[in-house]
Amino acid sequence: MNPASLIPAPDPLQVPWGWFQILLSITFLLHLVVMNIMLGWSIIASINHIFKQSKAAENRLISKKLPFTIAFTVNFGVAPLLFLQVLYGHFMYTSSVLMAVFWLSIVLLLILAYYGAYIYNLQFVRLPGLHSLLTSFIAVLFLAIAFFFTNNTSLMVSPESWPRYFDHPDGLLLNFADPTLIPRYLHSVFASVAVGGLALGLYYDWKKRHGDMAAAAQIPSAMNWFSYATILNFGIGTWYFGGLPLTIRTVTGAASAFTLFFLIAGIGAAILSVIYGLQRRVRRTAFAALAAIICMVVVRELVRRQTLAPWFSTSDLVVVPQYSPLLLFLVVFAAGLALIWYMIKLVLPADNPAATPADSEVQS
Amino acid sequence: MNYPIWQLDAFGGGLLIAIIAIIHVYVSHFAVGGGLFLVLTEMKGLREGSAEILAYTKKHTKFFLLLTMVFGGLTGVGIWFIIALLSPGATSSLIHIFVFGWAMEWVFFLAEIVSLLFYYYTFDRLEPKKHLILGWIYFACAWMSLFLINGIIDFMLTPGDWLTNNNFWSGFFNPTFWPALFFRTFMALMIAGLFGFLTSVNLKDAALRRTMVRYCGIWLLAPLVLLIGSALWYKAALPPAQQEMIFFVAPEMKPFLSVFIWLSPLIFAGGFGMAILRPQSVQRPLAWLLLLLGFVYLGCFEFVREGGRRPYIIHDYMYSTSILKSEMAKTQETGLLTSARWIKNRTVTPENRMDAGKELFTMLCLPCHSVGGLLNDIVPIAKQFSPAGMRSYLATMGHASPYMPPFAGNKEEMDILADYLTTRLVQGTGDAPLKIPQKSTTPAPFNPETAEYLILASTDMGMVLSSEPEQSGIDFSFAPPTLRAQVIERGEAPAVLGKEIQVSYRIATDTGTLTGNMSPVGSAFEAALAHMPAVSKDFRPYLLAEVTAMKNGKVIATTNLKIGISTTIGCRNCHGGPWRQQGLTGLSRETAANILATHDKRSKTRLSTAFANGSIVACRDCHADSSRDAKGLPEHLHLSASIHGFHAAYIDQDSNNCNFCHGGNPHGATGGLEDLHAGLGLECANCHGTLADHAMSLLKHEEQAIKPSNAPLLRQIATKGSVPANTIKGRLPWVMEPDCLSCHKGFQPPEADTAFNTWTSDKQKLFAHRHSEEGLLLCSSCHSAPHSLYPANTPYSRKAGNLQPLQYQNNLYPISADRGCAVCHTVEMEEELHHPGSLGTFRNRVE
Repeated sequence: MNPASLIPAPDPLQVPWGWFQILLSITFLLHLVVMNIMLGWSIIASINHIFKQSKAAENRLISKKLPFTIAFTVNFGVAPLLFLQVLYGHFMYTSSVLMAVFWLSIVLLLILAYYGAYIYNLQFVRLPGLHSLLTSFIAVLFLAIAFFFTNNTSLMVSPESWPRYFDHPDGLLLNFADPTLIPRYLHSVFASVAVGGLALGLYYDWKKRHGDMAAAAQIPSAMNWFSYATILNFGIGTWYFGGLPLTIRTVTGAASAFTLFFLIAGIGAAILSVIYGLQRRVRRTAFAALAAIICMVVVRELVRRQTLAPWFSTSDLVVVPQYSPLLLFLVVFAAGLALIWYMIKLVLPADNPAATPADSEVQS
Repeated sequence: MNYPIWQLDAFGGGLLIAIIAIIHVYVSHFAVGGGLFLVLTEMKGLREGSAEILAYTKKHTKFFLLLTMVFGGLTGVGIWFIIALLSPGATSSLIHIFVFGWAMEWVFFLAEIVSLLFYYYTFDRLEPKKHLILGWIYFACAWMSLFLINGIIDFMLTPGDWLTNNNFWSGFFNPTFWPALFFRTFMALMIAGLFGFLTSVNLKDAALRRTMVRYCGIWLLAPLVLLIGSALWYKAALPPAQQEMIFFVAPEMKPFLSVFIWLSPLIFAGGFGMAILRPQSVQRPLAWLLLLLGFVYLGCFEFVREGGRRPYIIHDYMYSTSILKSEMAKTQETGLLTSARWIKNRTVTPENRMDAGKELFTMLCLPCHSVGGLLNDIVPIAKQFSPAGMRSYLATMGHASPYMPPFAGNKEEMDILADYLTTRLVQGTGDAPLKIPQKSTTPAPFNPETAEYLILASTDMGMVLSSEPEQSGIDFSFAPPTLRAQVIERGEAPAVLGKEIQVSYRIATDTGTLTGNMSPVGSAFEAALAHMPAVSKDFRPYLLAEVTAMKNGKVIATTNLKIGISTTIGCRNCHGGPWRQQGLTGLSRETAANILATHDKRSKTRLSTAFANGSIVACRDCHADSSRDAKGLPEHLHLSASIHGFHAAYIDQDSNNCNFCHGGNPHGATGGLEDLHAGLGLECANCHGTLADHAMSLLKHEEQAIKPSNAPLLRQIATKGSVPANTIKGRLPWVMEPDCLSCHKGFQPPEADTAFNTWTSDKQKLFAHRHSEEGLLLCSSCHSAPHSLYPANTPYSRKAGNLQPLQYQNNLYPISADRGCAVCHTVEMEEELHHPGSLGTFRNRVE
C-alpha cells in the first residue's frame, strides 16, 4: 500500500503558513523550557529522595514550585499544539488515532501527576515517608507522557509505518521502528534534567544576589545536574543524529545545510554552556543553554520538514485569506502580556523581593 | 473519509467524549461563575468587616483552584484530545476555521492561571483593593474564555451565514451565539452557588454557615430564573431544522429534554430547602445531591445541544461520519471504498466481501455507534434486521431517519454493509432460502360425459394475510375471505342455479373441520368465513375446501378449492424477533412487542401495556379498515394508508419491496405470488404502483387529506415515488383498486403493463365482485380469485392452485379456455357471450 494515499487532505489556512510557523516555534520554545524544568525537577526530587540526599531545602523548593511548572507547561503546550495542528494536523491527527490509547492516557496521567504534585506540596511536612514514592510516581508519569509525545511526533512524520493500522486499529501502535525514537526520547529527558538543574541554579543565584548566602552553597550541585546531564546528552545526541536518514545527515541542499548549521551552532552553544556550568557561572550558562535550546528547536523543525519533504510541505497549504482574526489575536496577545505584566507589578513589591507570591508559604 | 477510525467497540458511541466533556463543562462553568463568586464574596467580607467570611473565601479559593485549574484545565485539554481522536476531520475544520479564536482563548487561559495563582497566594498579603483587582481580572478572563468557546461550540449547531461566506465572524457570531452566551453565563453563576453550598455547609460556626448557605442560595436561585428565560430565547433562536430535530424528530432527545425541564423546579426547590433546613446533617447530603442534580441538568442540556446537530457534526456542512455534505453525492456515486483514504479492500471479491463490509462499518457506523457499549449500541439494532431489511434501512437513512446521515456509498456497498451487519457483526433475522416441499392434492372427480351439474367456486381474495391475533397478540390481518360458489346446470343454455338448491362447504383445518351452508346472493352462494385458522402444522399457505351442492337431499356436484392464507409477514425484517412457527413463518409475540414499542414511542400510545396484559391489539380499533367496514377513530388514517404511508419512507424503493411484508418472497415459506401475472414477469408494482406511489395514492384520498398525521407522511415520501406525486389520484383502500380493464381494454390482450392510477370507482367494480357480460357468471368463477388467477403457480402444489380447471378440463387454464365451452354447454358455441375473446385460444401457455 502506498502510504501517500493514506495522508489526509489538509484544510486551508487563513494566513500564510509562515505566521503559524513563527507562532509555533516561539510558543514551543516557551513550552519546552518550562516542560524541561517540570520533568527535570520531578526526576531530581525523586533521585534526591530515593538516594536520601541531604537536599531538604531543594526538595521543599521543588515541591512548592512544581505545581506552577505543570500549570504553565500545560498552558504553554496548548499554543504550539494548536499551531502544529494548523500546519501538520492531517499528519498529527492520524498518528494520534494510531496510538489513541496512549495519547488519550496522557490526560489521565497528567491529572494524576498534577494532583500528586499538589499533595507533595501541601502535605510535604505531614507525609515525609511518602516523598520518595510521590516524587517517583510523578516522575514516572511525566516520563511516560514524554515518551508518548515523542512517539507521536515520530509517528506523525512516518507515513510509511501507518499501514500497520489495518492490522491494529485499536489505537495501540507505537513507533519502535523509528531508530531515532529512543535516543530522541532520552535526549529530551536528559535535557530536562539539565534544564531543571539550571533552573535551580538560576534560582539560587538570584537568591544569592539578594543576600541569601545559604543559597550560594546549593549552586554547585544544581550546576552539576546541568553539566553532567548535558555531557551525557552529547552522546545521546550523536546516537540520535546517527539514526536520522542519510539525506538529512548529509548536505544535499539548502535545507540540510541549514540543519547542519543550526546543529553545529547548537552543539557549540551547548559545549559553551557545559564549560560555564562547570565553572558555576550560572547566568552565562543559562544564556548559552538558551542559545543551544533555540538552535535545537530550529533543528528539530528543519528535520521535521525534511523528513516530511517526500510527502508534504507547508507551502502546499492553500490560503484563503482572512487577516482580521490574526490582527485581533495579536492585539489580544499583546494586551494579555501587558495584563500579566500589570499583575506582576501589582503583587511584586519592588522593595521586598522575598515576598513574591511564588516564594510564599503555601497555606494548607 | 480522510482519517483512520479508532475502533473502540464497547467504549465507542461517543461514550468517552460524553464522560470527559460533561465533567469538563461542569467544572469549567464553575471556573467562570465561581470566579465572580470569589470576588463578590470577598467584597461582602470586606464590606461587613467579617474575617470569617474572608477566611471562608480563601478556603473556597483553594478548593476552587485545585478543582478548576487542575481538573478543569486538564479535562479541557482532554476534550481537545478526544474529539481529535474520534472526529479528527471536524476537529481539523474547527481548528482551521477558528485558529485565532482558539489562540485568543489560550491567552485568556494564561491570564486566568496567572491571576488565579496570584489571587490565591496573595490572600491576606496584598491590600484588599489590589487583591480584588486580581479577582476581577480572573473573572473577566474566565468569562472571555467562555465567550470564545461559546462562539465555536454554537457554530457547530448553527453555522449561519458561514456556510455561504466562510467568514470567521459570521461563524463566530452565529445565530445562537448570544442566547447561548447568556444561558451559559447564568448556568455558570448557578453552578457557583451549587459549589458554594458544598463548602459553606462545612463551616463550623452555625451563624456563619446559615449566612453563607443563604448567600449561596441566592447564587443558585437568581440565575436559575434568568437561565430559564435565556433557554427559551435559545430555543427561539434555533433555525427550524435544528428545532425540529431536537423537539420532534430525534426520539432519543426526549428523555434529556424531559429531565432538563423537570430538574429546573427541582433544583429551585432544593435551593429553597438549603435555606430553610438548618441541620448540618441535612444540608450536607442535600448540597451533594444538588451538585449531582446540577451535573445532570447541564449534562442533559449538552446532550440535547449535541443532538440538535444531527445528522451533522457541523450543521449542514459536515456529517457525523466526517463526510462533507458537499461530497456526499459524489461519494454515493463512486462508492466509499474507492473514495475514502483509509481503506484496504478497494475492490470487492467474494473472498474479501466481509472484510470490505467491516471497513464500511468502521467508516460509516463506528463514528457514532458502539459495539456492545453503553451509548448508541449497534448490536441490538442490527439484530432486529434481516439483510434485506437492513439494506432498506440504509437506503432510507437521512430521509426517513433524518437523525442519521444519508448512506455514503453506492448500492453495492449498501448490500455489503447490510450483509456484514446482519450476518457477520450479529446474526440478524435473515433466513436461508427455503426449499418448499411438494404436497399432493387431487381434484374432485368430474365426468364430462355424464355430469349434469358443476360448481365453480372461489374466494374474493386469492391470498389473505393473517397476523394470527390469538398467537401474536396483534391483529392487522386482512378481513377473512368470502367463499363463493356458482352452481351450473349443464345444457344447451346452461342455468345458474339459485334458491332451489343447497350449497355447503367443509374446510379441514389443524383444529378440526369447519362446515357451513352458503347463502344465495344474486347468482352465487356465499359464506363469509369469519374465523380462518392458518395452517400451523406442516405449514402451507392455504387450506383446502370442499364445496357441495345438493338438490332434493341428493348431492348433485362437488368441487375443491384452495383458500390462500399467508402468515409469512415480514415485520421481522426490521422489527426483529423470530418466526412464530417452526422457524418458517408467523408473527411472533417478540416481533409484535417490538412493533408496538415503536408505535408507542412514535405515536405516544400505550399499546405495549395492553399487549403485556394479554389483550389483543387490533389496529382497526383506531385505524379504519374498509376491508371489513371497521370505522376506527375519525382522526386517524385508514389502516392501509397509515401502514403503507409510514413504511414507504423506510423501505427502499429499488427492490421488489412488497415482498418485504406480504410474504411474496419466493424463498420464503409462502413462496411468492402464484398468480398468472407473476409468471409473466409482472410485479405487484405494475398494478398497485411502487410502494411510495401506492402509499401516496392511499394518503391522498380525500378522506385522508385533512387528518393531522397525513401531511408528515406525505412529506416523507413526496420524492420517493416513480410517478410525480401531484399526478397520483387518491383512492380508498379495498374499494378503489386497480382495474383489469386498464390494461385489458375491451378484454383484449394488454396494451400496457401498468394499471396504476386508474381505480375502480366502487366495490362492485372490483374483479372479485364483477360479472361477465351476460351478467351471471362471476369473473372469479372462471379465472379464480384475484392474485391467484389460473394458471396459478402455487409453490407447494401446482394442482392445488388449479383444482377446478384440472377437475373440469384436465388443464391449468381458466374455465372454458381454448374453446372449452363443453364444460357447461352441450352444444358448440359461436357467440362470445361472456366477454370478447372468450372463444379464443388462451395466450399464456404453461408447461
